[in-house]
This record gives sequence, C-alpha cells and structure tokens, in this order.
Amino acid sequence: MPSNTVDRRTFLKLSGGAAASVALAGCTGGDTGDGETTEETTSGGDTTTTSGETSVGGEADFDLTITQGSLPSGLDPHDHRETPTEVVMLHVYEGVLTRDADGKVLESLATEWSRVDGENAVMFQLRDEVTFHNGDALTAEDVAFSINRIVNDDVGFASPQSDQLAGVTGAEAMDGAVKVTSDGLNPIVFSEFATYCDIMQKSWVEAREQADIAGDMNGTGPFMLDSYTEDEEVALTRYDDYWQDTAPAASVTFRGAAESSTRVNQLLAGESDIVVNVPPQEVQRVNSSDNATIAAAPSTRVIFNALRYDVEPFSSKAFRQALNYAVDVESINQNVLDGFAAATNQPTLPEFVGYNPDLPSYDYDPERAAELVEQSGHAGVELELHTPVGRYLKDLEIAEAVAGFVNDLPNVSVTVRQRDFGSLVDELLTGNIEDKPPWYLIGWGEATFDGGLVMTALLKSDGALTTFSNEQLDELLTRAGNESGETRAQTLMEANAVCNEEAPWVYLNQQYSVYGVNSALNWEARADERIDAYAITKN
Amino acid sequence: MGLGRFLLKRVLQGVLVIWGVITVVFALRLVSPGDPANVLLPPDVDPATRARVIEELGLNQPLHIQYLDFLAGVPFGDFGTSLVSNTPVFSRVLARLPATLELAIVATIVAVIIAIPLGVISATRRHEPADYGATIFSLVGISTPNFWLGVMLIILLAVQFNVFPTSRRPVGLSMVFSMLAAGQFAGAADGFVNWLSHITLPAITLGTYFTALITRLTRSGMLDQLGKTYVRASRAKGLPETLVRYKHVLRNTLIPVITVIGLQLGTLIGGAVITEQVFNWPGLGTLIIDSISRRDWPVIQGSLIVVGVGFVLVNIVVDTLYAYINPRVGFD
Repeated sequence: MPSNTVDRRTFLKLSGGAAASVALAGCTGGDTGDGETTEETTSGGDTTTTSGETSVGGEADFDLTITQGSLPSGLDPHDHRETPTEVVMLHVYEGVLTRDADGKVLESLATEWSRVDGENAVMFQLRDEVTFHNGDALTAEDVAFSINRIVNDDVGFASPQSDQLAGVTGAEAMDGAVKVTSDGLNPIVFSEFATYCDIMQKSWVEAREQADIAGDMNGTGPFMLDSYTEDEEVALTRYDDYWQDTAPAASVTFRGAAESSTRVNQLLAGESDIVVNVPPQEVQRVNSSDNATIAAAPSTRVIFNALRYDVEPFSSKAFRQALNYAVDVESINQNVLDGFAAATNQPTLPEFVGYNPDLPSYDYDPERAAELVEQSGHAGVELELHTPVGRYLKDLEIAEAVAGFVNDLPNVSVTVRQRDFGSLVDELLTGNIEDKPPWYLIGWGEATFDGGLVMTALLKSDGALTTFSNEQLDELLTRAGNESGETRAQTLMEANAVCNEEAPWVYLNQQYSVYGVNSALNWEARADERIDAYAITKN
Repeated sequence: MGLGRFLLKRVLQGVLVIWGVITVVFALRLVSPGDPANVLLPPDVDPATRARVIEELGLNQPLHIQYLDFLAGVPFGDFGTSLVSNTPVFSRVLARLPATLELAIVATIVAVIIAIPLGVISATRRHEPADYGATIFSLVGISTPNFWLGVMLIILLAVQFNVFPTSRRPVGLSMVFSMLAAGQFAGAADGFVNWLSHITLPAITLGTYFTALITRLTRSGMLDQLGKTYVRASRAKGLPETLVRYKHVLRNTLIPVITVIGLQLGTLIGGAVITEQVFNWPGLGTLIIDSISRRDWPVIQGSLIVVGVGFVLVNIVVDTLYAYINPRVGFD
C-alpha cells in the first residue's frame, strides 16, 4: 500500500529544517526560554553534585502516576517530535545542558560550555562520575555519538530532530570534553542544547536493533525504565546512583487517556497524581474535591482571528481596529475559559523573545468600534467567521463569543461557520492568500519561544501562512533575521509595535495549560509543558 | 442444500462484503478532509519537500494503482506501518482485539443473563407490577446514551464510592489463563478479580441497551408463542405449566433472540468505540479514535477492516447456527 513506502521517520526527517515545526498541527514541543540571551554563558564546575539522600523536605519514597493525553510513540529519545513522549524521556535521558522552570540555561551533563576562538565551534566540558543505568560511565564518545546520531543520517538512522539542532554539523570527542562544530556562527547553539539532544550510550545503541531501542531505555537520568507496555504504561523507578541527589519519588508511572473526563475521574478517584489538560468545565469539580487541585501555567500557544488584508473590509486598518475594540477578550477569558487564558495585544507572547511590554491594549469599547466601522466606509457589511471545532480549547465557543460581540455593533453582522480542522488547514497551506477564508480563528504554538518566527510565518508578506503585507514590518523582520541577541530582540519589539498598530489580527488569548494535581504533592506547572517528577515532593 | 455448500456460499458472500469494506475504507481516505501530507508535515515546509513526501507516500500515483497496492496487501495481513509508532498495523490491531472481544462478550453475557429471565417474567406476569417494572427498565435502558451512563457510573461508583476503578484494563483475561496454566492459582485468582473489577462498569455500560432490547424481544416472543395452538394443546394434555413455559415456549422464543444476540455481538465489536473511550479501555475503539485524531491512516484503515471482517464472521456463524437450531429454515 502507498503509505508503506515512506515511514514516519522519513516524514519527520523531510519536515526538518522548518523552524516553526509544530504550530498549527497542535503539538507544542518541549522547549522554553529566551533563545539568544543565553549565549556565551559559562558556568563554573563547582556545583553540589554529591549523590546521596534527598535533601528536600517532606515524605520520601512515594509513587507517582502521571496521566497524559497519550503515551510515547516509542522510547527512542531521538525518534519523536511530541511533547507526551518528551515528558517521559526527560526522566531517563539527559542533555549536556538543561533549563529551569523559568527557561534559564543550567548545567547538566556538561559543567562548562564555551565558544572556540576562531572556529565555528563550541566546547562542552563533561561532568565526571556520571553513570548510565546499566552501570557504565558516561564518556565523551557517548556525547559525541549522540549529537552525531541526531544531525548525521549515517550514524544509525535519520533522526526527525536534526533541525532542532539547526546549524550543528557534527561533534568530536576530546579528553573529557566534546567539540561541536557548526556551519556558521550559530548564535542559538547553547539554547538548542539546553532544550534538545538527549545523551545515549554509544555501545548500548550500537548493540541493538532500532526496534529494541524503541522498546528499552538506558540513560543517565534520575529514573530508569522498569517496564513498558506499548499504548498502556511506562513504569520508571528511581536510579539510586544518580549523579545528583536521588529523586524523592520512588517510582513514576506514565499512562495515557485521550478523554479529558476520564483523566479527571482518575485523578479524583486517586488513581493518578497529575493529569494534563483539564477542560475549564471540569475545573470546579477538581477544586471542590478533597484530594486534588488545579495547577495552571501560560502555554506557548496564541489564539487569534486572522484577517486577510487583501479583501474588503479587512483591507481597512480602521475596520481591523474596530473589530479589536468590539471584542471583549477579558470577558471571553473569564466566561468561556474560566480565567485560564490571558489577553494579547501583539503576535508575540510575554515569554517569547521580542515581546514588547509597552504596547497599548485594545480594551473593550463598542462605541469606538462602531465609529471606526463608519469611518472605514464598510458600515452594514455582513461577515463570516470560520472556526475549527474541538481543535483548541473551546475554539467554537470563543468564535461564537467573538461573533456575538461584533453582532452587538449596530453596523456589522457576523455568522460563525464551523469547519473541519483538516479542510481548513488545507486552505491555509496552499501558499496562496486567495485560498484562505477572509476571516478565521486559528491557534499557533511556537516551541522555540521566538516571536520572530511567529511573525515571519504568519504576517510577513512572503510568510508561509501569511494574511498580511506591510513594508515596514517586512523590513523589520528581514533585519531581525540578520541580527542576534539584544539587537534582534529590540527589532522584534518594533515589529510587534507595528503589528499592534496595524491590527492584522483580532487579538484573542494566550491559551493556558491546565493540570489537575493530587493535593498531597508539591509541584508547579511550567510554560514548556514539562512535567518533571524529579522536582516533585510530597507534603 | 447441505451444510458444506451452505458454508461455502456464505463464505464467498462474506469475501464479497469484505472486499466492499476494503473499498469503502480506501475511499474514506480520499474523501476525508485533510491531505495526509498536510496533516503530518509542519505548515511551513517548502513546496519541494512537500512534493517529495507526497511522492514517497505514493499519493501522486493514479488512484487505481494506489487501490490495487492497498488491496494486494490485505490478504497477507499487510495493512502498512503506523505513521506514529512505526510498528506494523496488523500486529497493533491484533494486540487490541482481545480487549474489545472481552468487553463485547462480557456485555453480551451480562445482557443475556439479565434479559431472558426478565423477559420471561414480564411475559408470564403480564400487566402485573413485575411486567411494568421490566417495561420501564427496558424503556430507560433503550433511551439512555452509552457515554452518559458510563460517565454517571464512574462518577457514582468509582469516584464517589470507590467501589470500582474508573478506567483502564491492567490485566487481560489471557494473562489470567496463562497464570492458571502455569499453576499459579493464587495469582490467577487475584488477576481474575482485578480483571473483573475493571471490566464491570464498561460491560454494564455497553450491555444496558442490549439488555433492554433482549428483554423486549423475549417478552413479545413469549407472548406470541403463548397464544399458539400447541401451547393450549400441551396444557390440555395436562403438562405442568412450568414445563410448558420453559421447555416449549421459551425454546421457540429463543430462536429469533439468538439471531439478534449474534448480530448485536457484531455491532458491539465495532460499536464499543464510545464506551472504550470513556473507560480508557485499550481496545479497537480507542485505537480507532486515537488514530483518527493523529490522522494515522494505515491504522484507521487496518482497524476498520478487522472490524468489518469480524462482523462478517459473526454473521456467518449466526446464520449457520440459526439454520441448525431451526430445522424449518434449512440451509438454503
């Protein structure tokens, strides 16, 4: 059959090189932090790395069960592009660098990292006395092998993650260190390694078939694999020779349940300790129970209404602004999303590189909206708002609320048109702006925490999914593409100011990740959707 | 017509039906919104790469070639490879089949155990409170949506009173049997209790509609038979009423009931989707829903074909049994 001739890996591999790699498809990858501000950071090697009893207060040796929407598609850390898989992986496999909950780059298997003078290369000094779960010591060869396994098709297999280490061409083992070469300066190389590239053991991988690697695990992390039943359960136990303090939890079990009410019931019945994506209508039930609470964090997904600049009435800036004034986003966030959302006023989210905190917001002002409609010369226009159903949190309800607010204006009327997500995406992806609906609701998740990538894809004249064209914005985004660090962030902030003024979207909300958590646990939700069992303690 | 020829004819008809199923399943992918390449690739992939993927997937091939390729694999259990897990579809589907069969069969058993006595009581005590009770039960049972009943049972019996687990199937019946075979009786007993506690709520949920249906059917069948001449003759002959009711009347009543039970079993195998989803039961239904949400077409197609084949097989068995039980029908 046709789909047998290309496998998933080939698919993902081919899709590599694309910077904003998740976005519409709905799966935000595990990433965090502000891309370029971390470059040139070097840490000393003097950390508290003694292993032994946990130093965290509270009860130890408890068992954790975490229920996600789905289970890993396999256990090879280099062979997936999904958050649920990544969450399981991060307990067993580690990278040379890592990030804290705020996105700050921290040391992990490497104690120091620096650029090599005069070369397009960086150097990682590795930590001593790190062991894999099979007891073998971590070597520089293992680290170099892992990097090459991702970026080089000839090492083992074609990893779908090669573009996550964009610009990296290879790695070489030195004495207790690894030299990583790039095809250019690569301003975000440390940021990439802080998020991606799990380290595997060379000899372990080479002794196994691909199918066996996808069913077994051998990392350096705080937990090791106990048992794996495909589609049912991944059970991990604490690794007692971990190079840091051992984890407070004795075991972590991951399960999958696609149905949100099933997850909530598991939580309330005490069968699961953390469940993902609690829908707003269930929040009350969780909060009013004796044994569970809600934990929420802003996600990397922005929900907005795209407006095609090339058709009337959306070609009028006054009309676009009018729509922004007409919609009471705060009310939608409170009444539709139960407060688990934040209003936006620009394409870039507050956690992202390039966010401009000084821009005015479009507060609810129906009189002004009606005036602007008159001013635009499009009074009496009838519109249609296309929306997917069930793709984003309460997408249809949000669209209906937007239509309701706009219908309240005396001089505009709107109907909502429900769309299948697949057919809507087909229209958005043709590359022709004429194929897109004039006005539609969509969400965009950006795993790289980079506002530049969002605006380039969605609002630059030649962007893959653009609905907008503005010379000034184009120029700023082109400039940002050739800059790095703080200069680039400043340019992106200017670009966001243009977007705020021009109103190419009806700005709606930043979606939240909402979790249900056993009240006996100490855990805080993170923006990057990572659930780190190592950081969980019990009261 | 003899049994052999009858079976041959039914099997050939079944093959035709399965071919139809395969064709429809193939066509489903074509008419479904959402190009597989678009769903699987990030939105900003350059057109050349997109074209390459479409080519490697075979999506640029003429339709008849794609169709023949697809058809050729099925007899050998080759439904392709899952785009998500990269494992063969056939083994994935087979791994899910026991859970669905367990659920469908237990639901049927529960339904039969409750429904037939209820139907008999209802018919023999017509217009008495027992009859009204059974009628109300059937009415409620037939009109209660599966998913609602499932969620209510979970909230009440699992979350509130903690009598049953909310969901999942940690132990399969095959595991219980293999423990039994290995002589681990204590383990097998524990496993069985565990299995039973997990399957109870989903089986009740799935079986309720079915119970109601069979109750109605048994009742009307009984009433129909009770008015027949042979019943009066038997009574006139002085046969005890119990014997008349349970040996002669019930037996004749059960012939159409068995047909319905068989056909419903087929429906349950395919129709357990919602119940499985609510209880996170790792059967074919959950697999189909998960695959649809990930647009994993090979798995969706493989699962639907297996459900179709199952339905055809059940039908053949039911027809054969029917002809066997009821001599008047015969194998023609």
